[in-house]
Amino acid sequence: MHRPLTLAVTLVLLWAILAELNHALSGLHFHVFGGALFVASAALHQPLRPGLAASLFGGLVCDANTPVAFGTHFVLFAAAHLFLHRVRDRVPRQDPVFAIVVVLLLNLALFLAFSLLLLPASPASFVVWPRLLADLIASQLVLAFATPWFFALQDRALALAEKLANRPTGRPA
Amino acid sequence: MSFKRFDQANPFLTLGIVVAAWLLVPAVVKTFARASFFELTAPVTLAASKVRDLQEFWSLNLHSKTELIEAGRDLARINASYEVAVQQNAELHSEIARLESLLRLPSFSAYRYEHARVARRDFSAWWQRLVIRKGRNFGIPVGAPVVFTGGVVGRISEVHATTAVVELVSSASFRLAGVVEGDTRPISFQGGVNPTFAPPRGVVELMPLDLAASPLSPKRLVTSGFGGVFPPGLTLGTVVRAELGSDGLFKSGEVRLDERLGSLTEVTVLVPLAPDAPARPAG
Repeated sequence: MHRPLTLAVTLVLLWAILAELNHALSGLHFHVFGGALFVASAALHQPLRPGLAASLFGGLVCDANTPVAFGTHFVLFAAAHLFLHRVRDRVPRQDPVFAIVVVLLLNLALFLAFSLLLLPASPASFVVWPRLLADLIASQLVLAFATPWFFALQDRALALAEKLANRPTGRPA
Repeated sequence: MSFKRFDQANPFLTLGIVVAAWLLVPAVVKTFARASFFELTAPVTLAASKVRDLQEFWSLNLHSKTELIEAGRDLARINASYEVAVQQNAELHSEIARLESLLRLPSFSAYRYEHARVARRDFSAWWQRLVIRKGRNFGIPVGAPVVFTGGVVGRISEVHATTAVVELVSSASFRLAGVVEGDTRPISFQGGVNPTFAPPRGVVELMPLDLAASPLSPKRLVTSGFGGVFPPGLTLGTVVRAELGSDGLFKSGEVRLDERLGSLTEVTVLVPLAPDAPARPAG
């Protein structure tokens, strides 16, 4: 039980950091989208059930804080998680450079999926693509720097939670 | 041959089943889940906002006493000008009330002003919105207009226990009837594109043919007051371009919105009062 809970706490922390970053960048009209980070670490390194539960939790947190149909992040994150989990045994998933590449590709796919889902409602959907490109570049740059840190944070948090869970209680067996 | 559980052997079929089950979940459950997850993260948003306020407080604390005295003096001068404006405003209000009773006109909607700090700004190409630090606890209703010194900010789209979400005027889903200053014919305004490193923009449609606007002679666009949500005369933006529309009957154009929308720290919510409730002064 401690594993999905720990992953969920780190995902809330990630969401809070991205929200603060976007708050700071709003004056410049930049937006950082970090959807892939909510999924990649859990999909590449965790067992299916706790990993998927954490990704779905992250999807629901993102859904609640964005004006999209409730379940959009939930479904996209679930699909991304299952895809990564399916292919992870065939790739060098412990390699940090590979992890960054996976996160960047996944983020690109999620970003395009969101754009195609949300833009038909916009009155000037073609004019908005330069802005989307700027946001995408900013997002990929941030993720390239943040991915190793976030993977390490999740690993360390899980190790700490494991240690706390296995701590002797002092009661007789 | 190793045995695998169904969800591990068929992950994409499992995903299909999860999606189908999600689509069948009643809307009331989804609404409840959305509100619950928002409230779960609201303390994080509020805490971060309060930390920013504290940071600002300590940075302001570094100012010297001389600077504070100068700021106080400047403020006193501005207050003196506003005192005169308040007196004139009260006089005009009583004149309007007298004319309304004489001519038996329906009176304008009255509002209570609720000032609120901005807890979070979220400006993507997909949506533009703010989270403010007041919600149901201050009686803020969904749909209430939100303004700042530069004009319209947007309208309240969601209300939670201690926070509310404002859909910004620059958001593509924001539509409103406006009028060009000095004209009475309504035109349709809609939020539009928010380019990087540039002010946000909106679009106008159904603009009468005799109205002209260009970057050299822009026209101020204000709220029309139609629909009863936004009071008339609030600044929406500046029409900087107007061209003949594809139907040839009306013009359509581009509106430049206030640059400060991207860096707001405090806004005012206009909470509509019941028709028989006494109007409370601002503040």
